[in-house]
Amino acid sequence: MRLVIAKCTVDYDGRLTAHLPSAKRVIMVKADGCVAIHADGGAYKPLNWMNAPNRLSIEDDVWTVTSPKGEKLTITIHELYDDISHELGVDPGLQKDGVEAHLQELLAANPEVLGEGYRLVRREFPTDIGPVDLLIRTPDGIAVAVEIKRRGEIDGVEQLTRYLDFLNRDPQLRPVRGMFVAQEIKPQAKVLATDRDISWQVVDYDELRGIESNELRLF
Amino acid sequence: MKFRCERADLEKVLGTAGRAVTTRGGALPVLAGIHLELAGDQLQATGTDLDLTITVTAVVGGEEDGTAVLPSKLANDIVRAVPPGKIEVTIEGDEAHISAARSEFSLRVIPADEFPRMAEPPESAVQLDGAAFRDALKQVVKAASSDDSRPILTGVLMAAEGDGLRLVSTDSYRLSVRDLPGTSVLTGDESVLVPSRSLSELSKVLDGDDALTLRLGERDAAFESGDVRVSTRLIEGDFPNYRGLIPDSQPNKLVVNRAELLEAVRRVRLLAQEATPVRMMMKSGGLELVAVTQDVGQAHEAIDATYDGEELTVAFNPEYLLDGLEVTSGDEISLETVDALKPAVLRSSDNPDFLYLLMPVRVS
Repeated sequence: MRLVIAKCTVDYDGRLTAHLPSAKRVIMVKADGCVAIHADGGAYKPLNWMNAPNRLSIEDDVWTVTSPKGEKLTITIHELYDDISHELGVDPGLQKDGVEAHLQELLAANPEVLGEGYRLVRREFPTDIGPVDLLIRTPDGIAVAVEIKRRGEIDGVEQLTRYLDFLNRDPQLRPVRGMFVAQEIKPQAKVLATDRDISWQVVDYDELRGIESNELRLF
Repeated sequence: MKFRCERADLEKVLGTAGRAVTTRGGALPVLAGIHLELAGDQLQATGTDLDLTITVTAVVGGEEDGTAVLPSKLANDIVRAVPPGKIEVTIEGDEAHISAARSEFSLRVIPADEFPRMAEPPESAVQLDGAAFRDALKQVVKAASSDDSRPILTGVLMAAEGDGLRLVSTDSYRLSVRDLPGTSVLTGDESVLVPSRSLSELSKVLDGDDALTLRLGERDAAFESGDVRVSTRLIEGDFPNYRGLIPDSQPNKLVVNRAELLEAVRRVRLLAQEATPVRMMMKSGGLELVAVTQDVGQAHEAIDATYDGEELTVAFNPEYLLDGLEVTSGDEISLETVDALKPAVLRSSDNPDFLYLLMPVRVS
């Protein structure tokens, strides 16, 4: 992670144009290439950013970040205050709570719940940005990356999208499909997942545990 | 395009068509809009999410023909907000101007050529009693599932039954069966599965006693009533074998005033929190309802009822029980049971055309 504190102007040219006038800001360059510009406020939201994959070129005091879609972020440094880099290593990610961890165990033990003939390749399959919960193979031999949550929200779909991006760079694995699994999935998360060709599935924790639900069913 | 009309008329047109508009955006932004087509004095408005399409026609004071797509939510909000009276709509290029009294709005329209072309409805048509069909829909739609992971259960089965039509829905916890004797829509063992959402919207737009025309195709169906057409894709797949679920006979029968039981369940339900069921304790002296939520409290209520059978306590999901009581017609209902783990059958004492099967909740 490279952190630059500088007085800078920022211009974004893409689907729209945006300009940030000169001010003291933090420029963050992550190991995966994401570039984000933060002010001293606004919580976690950057003022502007360019996700990876992108290309960063620095010429004198001008940083130019371009994306494959042709978007361009231009950062002009007027005064540099600090420029530090730290090796952060692979992040373990949010620790799963008990139920989530157990759901992962149960699904790893019973991958057929997710699809007929599905078989487990590995739990916590590593990627460059952290491990994905399960990697599974379909009967046709297609790899499926499964992200498991207790409650499925948009953040989880975004997380799985990032994993898929990295997994699909591996010629031995791709094509890798995604599956988002949770005890309940928010409608917006379902829509986003479907939009990104990620399948989703709601699972019943009690049923998986082999405990009969008290709510009896007709069939 | 240019036309004038009463605000109330345009509100009805846009509001009705807007019920089919998707609010979730997605790959086709144009689906967030309502397609308008003006020819002479006939205005046609269409909203769709590609599964459900609602088309409304109205007579307006047309001045200039044309087609356009208005953003549904914004257009509806504007029309609802302007004062009652005359409203004028002019659409030129990529802007729509809406004016009423002293209010004027202009908004960007969505390119009309991106709006999907709707298939023509199937030709073969059958007439239905609109009021009877609407009442039947209200009785069955609620029992259908809303879980898209089991799409078959999100549909309402429409099947030939004797000389009439049968509507069936289930979410695997309860089953609604409503017969419409003499309504000849399908024959033999024909059946179709219609998304419950489409039928729910249809029941909302059906007006009074208007006749209803049903056009059934292989993959879609269209319901026409007055100035409104509701078109829906049909669900492919096999509906569960529901007939085997309905018990032939049940040894225990409770007969009780429907309104009294309904109100009592509503009260007792207040203490049935966190998925706690409501227990029905049935014996020859009557009926007692009980709900106990640990660390919160409990509720008891005794109701006069006639009971024939073994003393029995059965627990039910209070929401499912209320749904069944609300849609069962008549002053008196019967609840037939076998034991605490088998489905109970709720019927009206004076209308044999509807039954509601409800699975109990297991309690210790």
